[in-house]
Amino acid sequence: MSENIFITDETIAGDDDGPLAGKTVAVKDNISTEGVRTTCGSKMLEEYVPPYDATVVSRLKDAGATIVGKTNMDEFGMGTTTETSFFGSTDNPAAPGHVPGGSSGGSAAAVAADEADLALGSDTGGSIRCPAAFCGVVGIKPTYGLVSRYGLVAYGNSLEQIGPFGSSVEEAASLLDVIAGPDERDATTREPPGGAENDTDGKSYASAADGDVDGLTIGVPTELLEGADEGVVETFWDAIEDLEAQGATYEEVSLPSVEHAVEAYYVIAMSEASSNLARFDGVRYGHAAGEKGENDNWNEAFSQARKEGFGDEVKRRILLGTYALSAGYHDKYYKKAQDARAWVKQDFDEALSEADVLASPTMPVPPFELGESLEDPLTMYLADANTVPVNLANLPAISVPAGETDGLPVGVQLVGPAFGEREIIRAGSALE
Amino acid sequence: MCDGGDWQMAVVQIPLRFTPVGSNRHSMTAQTVQQGDLVTVIGLEVHVQLETDTKIFCRCSTEQTDDPNENVCPVCLGLPGALPVLNEGAVEAAVKIGKAIDAEIPEETRFHRKNYYYPDLPKNFQITQYDEPICQEGELEISVEGERRDVRIERAHLEEDPGSLQHVGGSIDTADYTLVDYNRAGTPLMEIVTAPDFRSASEVRAFLAELEEVLEYLGVFDAGRDGSLRIDANLSIIEGEEADENGEIGIDALEAANRTEVKNISSHKGAEKALAYEETRQKNAIKRGRVVEQETRHWDESRGITVSMRSKEEEKDYRYFEEADLPPLRVSHWKDEISIPELPTARRERFRSEYDLNEEAASKLTSTKQVADFYETIADEFDPDLAATWVADNLLGELNYRDMEITDIEDRLEEVTRLVELVAEDEITAKNARETVLRDMLDDEQDPDSIVEEAGLGKTDDDEVQSAVVEAIEENPDAVEDYESGDDGAINFLVGQVMQKTGGSADPGDVNQLLRAELEK
Ligand SMILES: [Zn+2]
Repeated sequence: MSENIFITDETIAGDDDGPLAGKTVAVKDNISTEGVRTTCGSKMLEEYVPPYDATVVSRLKDAGATIVGKTNMDEFGMGTTTETSFFGSTDNPAAPGHVPGGSSGGSAAAVAADEADLALGSDTGGSIRCPAAFCGVVGIKPTYGLVSRYGLVAYGNSLEQIGPFGSSVEEAASLLDVIAGPDERDATTREPPGGAENDTDGKSYASAADGDVDGLTIGVPTELLEGADEGVVETFWDAIEDLEAQGATYEEVSLPSVEHAVEAYYVIAMSEASSNLARFDGVRYGHAAGEKGENDNWNEAFSQARKEGFGDEVKRRILLGTYALSAGYHDKYYKKAQDARAWVKQDFDEALSEADVLASPTMPVPPFELGESLEDPLTMYLADANTVPVNLANLPAISVPAGETDGLPVGVQLVGPAFGEREIIRAGSALE
Repeated sequence: MCDGGDWQMAVVQIPLRFTPVGSNRHSMTAQTVQQGDLVTVIGLEVHVQLETDTKIFCRCSTEQTDDPNENVCPVCLGLPGALPVLNEGAVEAAVKIGKAIDAEIPEETRFHRKNYYYPDLPKNFQITQYDEPICQEGELEISVEGERRDVRIERAHLEEDPGSLQHVGGSIDTADYTLVDYNRAGTPLMEIVTAPDFRSASEVRAFLAELEEVLEYLGVFDAGRDGSLRIDANLSIIEGEEADENGEIGIDALEAANRTEVKNISSHKGAEKALAYEETRQKNAIKRGRVVEQETRHWDESRGITVSMRSKEEEKDYRYFEEADLPPLRVSHWKDEISIPELPTARRERFRSEYDLNEEAASKLTSTKQVADFYETIADEFDPDLAATWVADNLLGELNYRDMEITDIEDRLEEVTRLVELVAEDEITAKNARETVLRDMLDDEQDPDSIVEEAGLGKTDDDEVQSAVVEAIEENPDAVEDYESGDDGAINFLVGQVMQKTGGSADPGDVNQLLRAELEK
């Protein structure tokens, strides 16, 4: 495993039978596994062993899946390349020498390298779709509220969802079938409209991967093509033509608000992160600073633990988030970002009233070379331009491999209406 | 809404008003505020632990236990990945409080995060409510020295209790180390914020006593629980001339005055002591021409003084923002669906008119819902006066002497009812019932009938008394002679003889009558 895909290799056996019996699943290391350390790619949690399973992990076990390890990731999900991990970077199995994307880089790489049949990641602003695109696999970011977040270590809790990776749309969808559905431990989960009783085998997410796009309307938001790499755009249009050939039609639509999406996303995600990551103080678990009696007061002990336990990118985001929520700046940043979020939602609603699904390149660029983007956080933030609006709007999206540019994988992102997972799975499967 | 603002600031941003109820709405203050007077202004933040079986955001028990960190789980320990789920029982309790204080309950209520670091706070933020509290603008009527008036309640909101700290080897600043116990973390709290409507420490005490009584009536609060009531009080002294003709003190005067926040008060008696101390301390400072520092002070119960917390109070920035893990909860229909019992004040009034009780008895008999319920059972079954004597005087008196509450004998109230029945039906004397049977019942946990039987307290039947009367007359010719020659006191000697023969179970009044009748023959 030269790619450094797993932070912890550990086989966790599931039930003897079930829909995923015989399948191996890699789990992102910010999803709690009882008795198996869950580091979030951070020194802070290097030795943290959760006493409980995330809901999705219980569901994997019940479905008969075998968990094969905890995958590498950007520290606390903060990154687009998996290079901010305390445990080192992961190489891209589909494009050696390049990053696998992030933050769920290890999970995408595990499927691409055939280290696991399937994988779980989490997506706060593109963290499933970006590595899926970079590694040439399928990744689904579900509608906010479809999959339980109980046990997912929070980064931006109003934005993120756990979702599946697979080597095909149907494979990824079969994992979504297992993890989706309300959970009494996560108050934000909801029953998809129509209810579970309609959700019979015949209407499973996997069965929606039938490739039938005849009559499908695809909206292409022009704003999401602006500034994208030429080779990526070419590959994208090839994919649209492919869908047209199968009976779909496309039209250009506009999402004027997305020009503010990246700023709004980072303000919201960082603000939430500043609060979500406050609990890491070394008292109950995680990295503790110094020996007993070394620090005069708790304040010093807390800041020392956080200084030693967090990496630079995490510190940067906590500081910026704290600032954005502070008295005097709250209205200027946090509140404005919430307004922008509402605007983005509205734009998506309008666009999705004209089209069944929206399509764009998942990432405006092909995978970076390892080490290339670490120096410049802003470039990295801008690479999220096509993925973050979807999180702001709480919508489902899938990234499907669409070919290559200069030998590097390109993914197409399809966005559907809330709880319209079947729509994007169907359209995505037509690209295979 | 002010971003990240401190609610303490909101307390003073409301114009002050002293609002006695009734026609003499302003007269009381107008009289009390004179030129040259110093007026005390107090506002309260009362934290009340709500009685629910489980914590507010997880299913851990709220039972108090001596084992530290026993009732904990990933949620209340703030483990990575754990999520809060709202206990609707806590919301129900909050709605009851809202109805009792006649507050506005919004269509929808939601939660915010209050961000600050402290070792007792598992997540280093507290889930609380900010600009959409479950209760706004209520009031509570209190009675101070016979005068009734309303205290305005600006807001009351739900939040989670932090854990508790145990300083080992010293106090907060001298301890060798500090232990954290998360058993308390996540206990539902209601924070009740009053307007600065109090003008004295005794008013504060009256308010808190009334509040406790109401909360207990609602069944949402257990005063006996350690730490179930915690009070922070803001106190400032204003020059009397700042008041307008109605005795009201404007916002400018209040903002200009330095105020201290007194923390660590845990009972209504403690509040009265702490605030009386603080009032005197500030008035003395002003009289001596010194400036009262704006600061936080700690009430030291054992020494009976408030102590400066020393640390210069910086304006805290809690960076409030919405708790996305808890969706807004619609509560508009809860108001109609949740009913609350008759409250103490109303019940007191009704007891006075319906059962013709005096104010003291009515007040005693409505002190807790259980007492009032028990009284009504007895009054309806037997006689209101007899019931009042038995419940207010005898039962509560004996319980109080034993440091017990009516709730301690909850499962024996039927036995007490039986005892009253024995008295009502003239089976035993009131004196024996009170002094022997009731006391034995409480001390030995025996039922009244067996005590009466064992001690032979049953009233003797008439034949037996009659023969004792005859015997006494026959055996004491001297006393009979004295009586017949006009010495009425001789009858008492004869009564004593009869009582002796009947082992004290005859009624002395009856014996007296029987003796006279026999002697007249
Ligand atoms: Zn708990």
